[in-house]
Amino acid sequence: MSQHRALPAAPPSAPEHREGAWAIGFTAMGCPCEVLVDTDDPERAEVVASVARNEALRIERKFSRYRGDNIVHRIHSAGGAPVAVDDETAALIDYAATCHDMSSGAFDITTGALRRVWTFDGREAAPTDAAIAAALAHVGWQRVTWRDHVLTLPHGMEIDFGGIGKEYAVDRAAALVADDGSGPAALVNFGGDLVATRERREGRPWTIGIEDPARPGEAAAYKVELLSGGALATSGDARRFVTSGGKRLGHILDPRTGWPVMGAPRSVTVLASTCLEAGTLTTLACLAGERAREFLEAQGVRHWIL
Amino acid sequence: MVGASPLRRRLSAAACMLATAGIARTARAQSWQLDGSALVYGEKARTNVVEPVARITRLFGNGANLYSQLTFDSMTGATPTGAVVTRTTQTTTSASGTTHTNTVGTLPTSPFSDNRFALDLGGAMPLGLVTPQTAIHLSHEKDYQSAGISGSLGIDAPGHLTTLTVGGGYNRDEVNPIGGIPVGLTSSDVTGESSRPKDVTTAIAGLSRVLSRRLLVGANFSVMHETGYLTEPYKVVSIVDPNATPSLGDDGLANAPTSTLASETLIHENRPSERWRRNVYTTGVYHLTADIVYLSYRYYWDDWNIQSHTMDVKVRHDLPEQHAWIQPHIRFYTQTQARFFTFGLLTGEPIPEFASSDQRLGPLRTATLGATYGFRPSDVPGELTIRAEYLHQWGKTPSSSDVAQPDGVDLFPPLDIGTLLVGYSLQF
Amino acid sequence: MTHSTRLLLHAAALTAALLLGAGCGATAVKPWDHDLLAQKKMSFNPTPHEAATDDHIYFSKEGSTGGQTPDGGGCGCN
Repeated sequence: MSQHRALPAAPPSAPEHREGAWAIGFTAMGCPCEVLVDTDDPERAEVVASVARNEALRIERKFSRYRGDNIVHRIHSAGGAPVAVDDETAALIDYAATCHDMSSGAFDITTGALRRVWTFDGREAAPTDAAIAAALAHVGWQRVTWRDHVLTLPHGMEIDFGGIGKEYAVDRAAALVADDGSGPAALVNFGGDLVATRERREGRPWTIGIEDPARPGEAAAYKVELLSGGALATSGDARRFVTSGGKRLGHILDPRTGWPVMGAPRSVTVLASTCLEAGTLTTLACLAGERAREFLEAQGVRHWIL
Repeated sequence: MVGASPLRRRLSAAACMLATAGIARTARAQSWQLDGSALVYGEKARTNVVEPVARITRLFGNGANLYSQLTFDSMTGATPTGAVVTRTTQTTTSASGTTHTNTVGTLPTSPFSDNRFALDLGGAMPLGLVTPQTAIHLSHEKDYQSAGISGSLGIDAPGHLTTLTVGGGYNRDEVNPIGGIPVGLTSSDVTGESSRPKDVTTAIAGLSRVLSRRLLVGANFSVMHETGYLTEPYKVVSIVDPNATPSLGDDGLANAPTSTLASETLIHENRPSERWRRNVYTTGVYHLTADIVYLSYRYYWDDWNIQSHTMDVKVRHDLPEQHAWIQPHIRFYTQTQARFFTFGLLTGEPIPEFASSDQRLGPLRTATLGATYGFRPSDVPGELTIRAEYLHQWGKTPSSSDVAQPDGVDLFPPLDIGTLLVGYSLQF
Repeated sequence: MTHSTRLLLHAAALTAALLLGAGCGATAVKPWDHDLLAQKKMSFNPTPHEAATDDHIYFSKEGSTGGQTPDGGGCGCN
């Protein structure tokens, strides 16, 4: 059985027949996306894929920090003044706040300021302790006031939904695609974070390959066969890193220290019922560094660490 | 979520709420399933049956279901009377009212034609770890009616990997043969009763378990208690005089099974009015790489001294490209005879309290070989199955039979049966 | 002890060993490993229709009956 891979960027591609299903690819949120629809009708597959694509573009427009016309921009232009947010943004912020609380501060969507001092492009460059300390003054959810749909972000701090935005988008797109369960089953994949809405026809599995970070583009290190709905998310230090003093430092920053986490797995994948849950668990696992495996085993969740 | 940490549970709940917030979902609360089948069954030179069945099931979102099923059975042909195979032509008049002449060396049979209707209703409702289930059965044919109720309770261990099932059933049947209830072990049938009841009570307990990702096993123990009229009203036992010369004659008794052989008398059979049956049944389902093996073994014994072994193997092989599957099947059955089973009694000997020549109580073996082909046609919704089976039944004639054995004639001639079952299943 | 009682005890012991002993100490089946088990064809009776028809056929041609369900009686063919 051939493995499932994210397609190279090609906004809505023509439907491609694969393993008894139709695949449509597009680009959104800066990554290659694909919707695999378990139907024999390519036109139906296109309709389903467009539902997913529209939702992905909507969420990208709404939460991207690169745009000048959305809620994120408004928050960053407020200069420390309170900003009222809509229900959807509030729900996402609530989720992030819950994760921050559950992880004792390891999970934090205000690490944006640290990004200015760490550039992860493989260069031999580590910032000075002073630069990190200065950046840390603008990092930390505990400095944010969040109450009754009103967010007060101190001046100089950044809020970044990037860590949960993609997983949230997959879950939302999958929920819209699944609708009342009367349509075909589909696998919604945004750059490797994916959700299978439910089981395929005739008991066929969804086959998903987990790439070996040491050998990208080649045969999968693990093959997962899903015979029901489910979500997979992957995080890891394999692709982006900086070397410092001959040591390789991953790109996952610990907001409490300002430094990248030591010993984070190169790639960790988690299977859960929603992509948000899976993605949060992979992030928390990476933040646990060398204790990633221990952490995931304690959660009682199916995972693969490479 | 078995084994999930508290952190994970919180995360899961929060993530679920977020993902589905605001999306209006018309939940699929229920759906329907239609199952239909038609059986065509033929025994070489004997009975033919056509049996269409239709069932409609309503499935609920919480896992509950309700079904109702209609069965129609049309049986025609000839069934063995129980009279022994003899050297010469034999004419029998049966209680069903027709005369039939058998050829020499074959098992005497008499023709019959009957239609049976049955209605079954039932349902199951999962309630957490406990699933109660109940069913009602009603059937009617010209000379036999049945009404029954059964229920069972499935209790899962937390995790649903082990299930204990206990169940029971009660059936009340009415036997009302044409011509009335015959007096057993006599040639006359003037009991004056037109019908007699038969009660069957069943109790069953079973355990099933998921042993691994690929293996399910289960075992049952059941007990059945039958009381009432358990005799076959149309079947007879031969009393043979091995020394007499066969010649023609007739008894002249009205409504009696008659034999035109002076050397032979036919009497109605007689069985006890009570029977205790017990079964131990074990089964396993094993998922190989792609195929699935279904295995089962049953050991049966009752207080009529019948013991039997049944072994059944099926292998399901999927053909995903054709949206189809194929399932070959082998079954093997062996049975010892009832203690009052006889191929025929001898004149001059005392007639025992119970006697039956019904081959189904005799020493026999059945081998079944068949295969099912299931597929989803491209332009029709639902799944079609076609099953063809061949059954071969043969008897173990005891080496020392008291009944004079005609040279070269098998007292228990083998039986060939072919069946074709066409089924259709649709969910909507 | 009669033959049938002894046989019953053996059968019960074997069944108990098979079901309760097996899997002891081995890892329990985790929820994410229910993939194969979730299929409709992974059950003791995937085609109840066929099973009911077979019960009827063998009930009318053989001396044994039952073992799988709590139903008894039902037709005048045995």
